[in-house]
Amino acid sequence: MSESPLNSPNGAMVPFTPVILKHIHEAGSHTLDHYVARGGYETARTNVGKTEPGSLVKLVEESGLRGRGGAGFPTGKKWSFLAKGTGKPAYLTVNGDESEPGTFKDRHIVEKDPHQLLEGVILTCWAIQSHHAFIYLRGEFILGYERLEAAVREAKARGFIGKKIFDTDFDLKVVVMRGAGAYICGEETGMLSSIEGGRGYPKIKPPFPAVSGVFQCPTIVNNVETIACVSHIVKNGAAWHKQWGTEKSPGFKIFCLSGAVKKPGVYEVPLGITMKEFIEVYGGGMIEGRTLKAVIPGGLSAPLLTPEMVEKCTLDYESLAGLGSMLGSGGITVLHDQVDLMSAIYNTMRFYHHESCGQCTPCREGTGWLEKLAHKFHEGHAHEGDVDLLGDVARNMRGRTICVLADAAAMPMQSYLQLFRGEFEKRVHEPAYTERKRTARDEITPAAKRDTVTQGGPDVLSVGMGMDRI
Amino acid sequence: MTLRQAQGPARTLSTEYLQRFHDMVDDYPNKRSMLMMTLRLIEEEFGCIDDAGMEIAADLCGVSTAHVQGMVTFYTHFKRPAHGKHRFMVCATLMCALDGNTSQALKQIESKLGITPGQSTADGLFSCEKVECLADCDKPPVVQKDFEHFCSMKGKTLDDYIDSLLKRENKSVADYQGKAGIEMDLRVSVLPSHYNFAGETEVGARHFENKDPYFQPGEAPRTTTVPPPLKTPLTAPVVDGMNLNGADHV
Ligand SMILES: Cc1cc2nc3c(=O)[nH]c(=O)nc-3n(C[C@H](O)[C@H](O)[C@H](O)COP(=O)(O)O)c2cc1C
Ligand code: SF4
Repeated sequence: MSESPLNSPNGAMVPFTPVILKHIHEAGSHTLDHYVARGGYETARTNVGKTEPGSLVKLVEESGLRGRGGAGFPTGKKWSFLAKGTGKPAYLTVNGDESEPGTFKDRHIVEKDPHQLLEGVILTCWAIQSHHAFIYLRGEFILGYERLEAAVREAKARGFIGKKIFDTDFDLKVVVMRGAGAYICGEETGMLSSIEGGRGYPKIKPPFPAVSGVFQCPTIVNNVETIACVSHIVKNGAAWHKQWGTEKSPGFKIFCLSGAVKKPGVYEVPLGITMKEFIEVYGGGMIEGRTLKAVIPGGLSAPLLTPEMVEKCTLDYESLAGLGSMLGSGGITVLHDQVDLMSAIYNTMRFYHHESCGQCTPCREGTGWLEKLAHKFHEGHAHEGDVDLLGDVARNMRGRTICVLADAAAMPMQSYLQLFRGEFEKRVHEPAYTERKRTARDEITPAAKRDTVTQGGPDVLSVGMGMDRI
Repeated sequence: MTLRQAQGPARTLSTEYLQRFHDMVDDYPNKRSMLMMTLRLIEEEFGCIDDAGMEIAADLCGVSTAHVQGMVTFYTHFKRPAHGKHRFMVCATLMCALDGNTSQALKQIESKLGITPGQSTADGLFSCEKVECLADCDKPPVVQKDFEHFCSMKGKTLDDYIDSLLKRENKSVADYQGKAGIEMDLRVSVLPSHYNFAGETEVGARHFENKDPYFQPGEAPRTTTVPPPLKTPLTAPVVDGMNLNGADHV
């Protein structure tokens, strides 16, 4: 990865080289020896048992680091909310579930630089005075689990984890756990339920995890990337972190680029660069012969951006919020002009219906309705009123559930409706689509030719009838 | 025939795996929280999680079998008896499905093995299913085969891989041509297998002919699945006056 000169908040050009992903291409980057050879664990050694924990929390707060898991909550502030004097142990739980479609950054940290994460865990645990950390990896990360487990063993053998780490009086247990294929275990309280040995059911907040989390003890939940940032911030200081990014979104972030670009992949860039630059320079531009139709900027849950919005967009929390979308987990997917948006939204809704945990009626039923309705548009036999019905169902799902999965499902639907309503309307009574022999339901193919419309279309199905689930 | 009989004799974890279970004990504040990882141990040792495996997990973690059943059916990644020996999981979420990548992988699997998503081959060697995002979206289609992860898995790469599996199993594509796959049944049995309803009367009142309802008449007593004493006693924080040790507060 090369250096790129980029604008900092004060307008000066500050060169940026990747920080977290700097070493992932090197052979053996996942081993302890490699990590120690590049100065690894020195920050932990000089701080654990020596620096006052409260000052570390303050440092992270000053640095402006914001959660990289999706919500973008200021990390230092979250730590400062941790309930103290409860007589219960405090826990750190690191969220490595990485289930938001379009996101694949934590995978690279865990597989290729696990010690970086562990050093972050050690420093965080010292800062919040926790003696027990869980790292929850999604079950599908097989190499990641092996490498992280091995890394924990190596670090234990050197006395960086375990009893009296770094020859101080501080004990620290780090436990790597595996999920088993449930998106909802990425939601923080869902993950805690899973760690407790139950189904990954999210819990009502408040109480927030910082007050009563895993095992009803005060708990800090942070994303893998957030924790990986910690050791760099502690080492280099808050001002160092703030030299990149914008005033409200300081620092750098890993973005995952997928879809119709020449060079998809993970790229670590300073926050605040333009989306256009990101797609053109890092992603190498659109694939040959295709133009941009829309961009999903922050994982599947993020509302779409149209090409006009992409022109205006910069990669920071505020810019995307201003455009009615969100930075989310940093999973950017580029959709080209031939993508059939009705298939895309159907696929999206199918995902949420499948992953809803089923505790709340608006979510369990709402995602099902959205899927079925989207299926009608996908197949081309929707009713006139179905467009409005989609909007109605989506609106009624938001803000009425235990966790925000319902919102995460409703938001993309609402944005498709708002930005591409015409495409929905085109599919009302469009028998050509059912006539088409579909080889696979979820094929997101170019739209069929319009001139093959056959008369006397198929029976119009109503919601909830005759629709088989896939 | 009860499920237990269908599955053969009762099983226990081997000493090695029991040891691995006990090695984990220190890492968790209570036994219930070890359930996810215990199920992984069982999956690894037995190749899948069947009814007997669920009972072992329940015993080890001090929860009810029903709770374990609830876990195993909630989490889709656990391998179950209905899955094939070689279990293909093809990502079907938007990023992979764009430009027909998912359907191409599925088509190739179908043309070689004759199975569509949700099916396994009649001999139980292969199964195929659609799964949600596998977090490698820049290289679609992403496919996992049991615990192996593959990116850009289509065309020759996928064909060659399936061929290599077929070769390993002494099978050929011809063995699966024109043969219908069978739908996988991932439900759990409604009742834990150790309930004996043989003596149920007409009005439905239950009594057990065998004094010990745990065993089928004629079935060899099952070998113990109760773990040997722990090396170190479990320590759990006492929270709100409740010791969480092994508590099944579902
Ligand atoms: C449905 C849903 C899924 C989520 N999935 C993830 C995930 O896969 N990984 C993650 O780190 N955070 C995920 N989150 C966000 C977490 O709830 C939580 O905000 C985050 O882990 C906090 O860490 P951070 O402050 O470091 O971002 C998800 C949230 C929701 C509502
Ligand atoms: S909103 Fe959906 S996923 Fe979240 S708790 Fe309710 S039912 Fe479960």
